[in-house]
Amino acid sequence: MKEGQVETNHQRIAEFREEIASLTVRSPVDAAERTWLLTGIGLGALGVVVILIAWFGASGTAIVAEQIPYLISGGLLGLGLIIAGGALFVRYSLSRYLRFWLVRYLYEHRVQTDRMIEALERLESALRPAEPVDR
Amino acid sequence: MNPAAGSTGRGTAITETVPLLELRGVKASYGRIEVLHGIDLVVPEGSVVALLGPNGAGKTTTLNVCAGLHKPIAGAVYIAGRRMNGVAPDALARVGVCTIPEGRGIFPNLTVRENLQMMTFAGVSMQEVEAVAYERFPRLAERRNQLAGTMSGGEQQMLAMARGLATEPALLLLDELSMGLAPIIVEELYGIVAQIAAEGVSILVVEQFARTVLGVADLAAIMLQGRIVEVGPPSELEAGLSSAYLGG
Repeated sequence: MKEGQVETNHQRIAEFREEIASLTVRSPVDAAERTWLLTGIGLGALGVVVILIAWFGASGTAIVAEQIPYLISGGLLGLGLIIAGGALFVRYSLSRYLRFWLVRYLYEHRVQTDRMIEALERLESALRPAEPVDR
Repeated sequence: MNPAAGSTGRGTAITETVPLLELRGVKASYGRIEVLHGIDLVVPEGSVVALLGPNGAGKTTTLNVCAGLHKPIAGAVYIAGRRMNGVAPDALARVGVCTIPEGRGIFPNLTVRENLQMMTFAGVSMQEVEAVAYERFPRLAERRNQLAGTMSGGEQQMLAMARGLATEPALLLLDELSMGLAPIIVEELYGIVAQIAAEGVSILVVEQFARTVLGVADLAAIMLQGRIVEVGPPSELEAGLSSAYLGG
């Protein structure tokens, strides 16, 4: 190996060590997705509980003015939590599904290409003129 | 044994620095089934390490753990001395850990040039990618506009290697390079692996059929049923190989 090449390789290895040292090790995407999915479910459930509490509070009085705080702080907050939770759930369960779908699509596409190539090769060999036979 | 000591067969000294790749007590599973039962393996800087063993021994899983594609359930993966459990595989690829998977992983419905273009993600220009690829594999230059899927198995493997090398890897993970190829092509490819190693790239190569890879490896490990049963220089392991495969 040439001296210049050795120098370049040492540089590259040193660079690699530096890059590895500065790399941010995050939790894998899958774990993060699962966390968000569970958060979505949790928020939705919390929203239902808040609405039930608000309903219980509002049902205890016949005066509309006393029911309004329950409606605002309980009902709307609960509704907001359900919407936010639902959005998180849909977002992360959909991304999982779409990723699977994309991989499936790529796989099918590859299989299809392989079949086409095979068919073309068969056609090519079938159309190739036969070797003349010496008599 | 400390596999980091010694020197390579090519005359390139294996440095006593922190190894580029190290597995310590790595366990991995598929669902509830544990397939790796505590793997300890070291790939010193500038060396070729061959991981050998019969089908189902856990070689590919080990490689996938190293590449960040499979999360270990216990133990630690150290790359350049840093614990890298759970790091995203794309992050590793960006910094220079290149995996060439079993089955090559090329895009069969794209041309050779388009396949190479995929490697410009790392910020390398297309000219540079092509220059590196065609210099090492002149046959690819002749076929640059051909669909990758229509090339021979050997040429497809060359393309996979060219694509990997375009990112200037520091650590190369090769899975079953010889799969489905004629012995003469395998020899040619391992010749190229030896060249790459001589340039200072550390290589972990997984193989089922051992003979050719032992010619280029500095160290070899035999794996059986999710465990490494023997580690040592290829000359010492050759005798133990047949019993490992035949269960004798």
